[in-house]
Amino acid sequence: MATIAEPDPPAGPGSPAGPAPLADPGPPGEPGDAGIQWQRPSRLLLRARRIQAALVAVPAALAGGLIVGLLASAGLGLITALGLVIIGLLCERFLARRVAAWGFAERRDDLMVRRGVMIRRLSVIPYGRMQFIDVTAGPVERSLGLATLRMHTAAAASDARIPGLDRAAAAKLRDQLAALGEAQAAGL
Amino acid sequence: MTSQAPGRPPVATEDITTWHRLHPLSPLVRTGRHLATIGTVLILLLFVSHSQAGGDLVIDSIIVGLVLIGGVISWLVTRWQVADGVLRIETGLIRRESRRFPLSQVQAIDVVQTGLARVLGLAELRLRMAGADSSGGRLASLPLADAEALRQRLLSMAHASGAASAAVAPGPGAVQSPGAASAAAPPAGAGGRVLFRVRSQRLAGAIILSRTGALAAVVIAAAVAVVLATGHPGTIVPFLPFGIGFVLAVWRRFNGEFGTVVATAPEGLRLRSGLVQTTAETIRPGRVQAVRIVEPLVWRAFGWCRLEVDVAGPRQRRENQSESQRLRALIPVGSRAEAEQLTGELLSTQRRPTRRPPPRARWKTLLSYHFLAFDSDDRYVVASRGRVCRETTWVPLEKVQSVRWVQGPYQRRLDLATVFLDVAGRRVRAAIEDRDAAEAGEILGRLPDLARAARTRGRAGAGRAG
Repeated sequence: MATIAEPDPPAGPGSPAGPAPLADPGPPGEPGDAGIQWQRPSRLLLRARRIQAALVAVPAALAGGLIVGLLASAGLGLITALGLVIIGLLCERFLARRVAAWGFAERRDDLMVRRGVMIRRLSVIPYGRMQFIDVTAGPVERSLGLATLRMHTAAAASDARIPGLDRAAAAKLRDQLAALGEAQAAGL
Repeated sequence: MTSQAPGRPPVATEDITTWHRLHPLSPLVRTGRHLATIGTVLILLLFVSHSQAGGDLVIDSIIVGLVLIGGVISWLVTRWQVADGVLRIETGLIRRESRRFPLSQVQAIDVVQTGLARVLGLAELRLRMAGADSSGGRLASLPLADAEALRQRLLSMAHASGAASAAVAPGPGAVQSPGAASAAAPPAGAGGRVLFRVRSQRLAGAIILSRTGALAAVVIAAAVAVVLATGHPGTIVPFLPFGIGFVLAVWRRFNGEFGTVVATAPEGLRLRSGLVQTTAETIRPGRVQAVRIVEPLVWRAFGWCRLEVDVAGPRQRRENQSESQRLRALIPVGSRAEAEQLTGELLSTQRRPTRRPPPRARWKTLLSYHFLAFDSDDRYVVASRGRVCRETTWVPLEKVQSVRWVQGPYQRRLDLATVFLDVAGRRVRAAIEDRDAAEAGEILGRLPDLARAARTRGRAGAGRAG
């Protein structure tokens, strides 16, 4: 599993613009995007994801342990809870790479968003095709001052979101994208 | 309340700016389908089990009565007007609802007649708007002649206001021009060159040979076998709803696609279809988001195929879910030659998918490798895929909403990648599957620029035409 998911050695851009808080796993390994300046989500995104994972794993471990403990024996319940916690910790290891895989690049006519470790995705959304832009922030993200930017096109499948942006940066990017979208707007 | 003329709907010359009600028989038309279903089930139940039918009958008739009363109330509180280029529909007794449909945003107006409505001489007017999730307006029901006249008037108003706001609207092609399609007029006399007319026998055969038909046949055969084996017809009663469901699905498909006629019209292609319920709509080539040819396994043996188009905007809320999932079939079933002729009419290319993925892709796509292919020029991308049923999809680059490059773990092992082209709507996309990773990267690098060039060209062309 881990060997398959191992990212390719960084081949494309040297260093991304601005501070690079997370290890750059490199572009998704296709030649089309050489020389693209990838921008990264905030380093706080990893913490947000960890908190979210913990918020799921700890109650799940408690509930699972309690149910098994009551139905079977206390020892079995403890093992179940421990197992669930270990699964959560394993997921946590994966989180860092997933967070590091996020990246976006503003090109002249379109926005590129890449994500994913196991299944790598790279979307290209022309500015003129954006129908509207959402900025959302869940409770965890809000407590860390983060927000998620989501772009909608007329196609339901073109899923382009950038999580873990600084709230100010998200607002700025939103306005920027909206202005670009208006300038290049194209009909259906 | 404004002055109303209950039961006296507007004629074309009459003032449509005042409030109007729908036809007084509309509740009957609206609930007619449900009533028929309830009635059928009732009769079947009566037929099968005579014992406690009396009590059920009372309850069922109460339900039927309630449904009818609900319909009448809904009719009483519903009214519509056209003012300042906006169609307003007000409805609802407890939760009052007022909906505005700016005519400049109207994509198309369809006239739909259900079976009961045809008997009563009524028709339903459906407005199609561009939004992705808002359902369009429905005026159900009006007398057929009035519906036709109102459609013409609304379309001309839409055209006028659309032309006025063409500078703001996304391209002058935003407004669907008035189509003279008439649900009542005989198909041949509708004007224009007839491009395709479905053959009824072939349609029936094709539906029986399709998945729906095969399922229905299996279900019926199983029911007959069970009855013959056990000798008690009562044993299959619990499964009767499923059986009826399958038979209904077949019937709906036949009903919807019967007598499909595609003809040229000044504003595009005119499509009419239906046996009991008839629909008439106009498809503008400029608004086609994707064209798809589907060739199921059995149909291929006969050289048959199905041609579907995807048009911008949501499908109207259809009577049944499965129908709204499917695309509009221009050719429900036809020969390859007919499909190719019509594709030529819709697209300015005859390109077929010829570029095959690398042979090592066979390891990932054991069952579908034989159909995988794609090709592209500077205006269209065409891709084919499928295991037993070949789907060939053409997507105009001008309409591409986003381009996605995806590589799963197994594809990475084989150094492959897939590129998706999304178009408006949620059903269609062209997938250039399992190409060499380098080639996919090159496609991803090139397509956005090609699409932009196509958009610019399309805008320039539309500007000249407008």
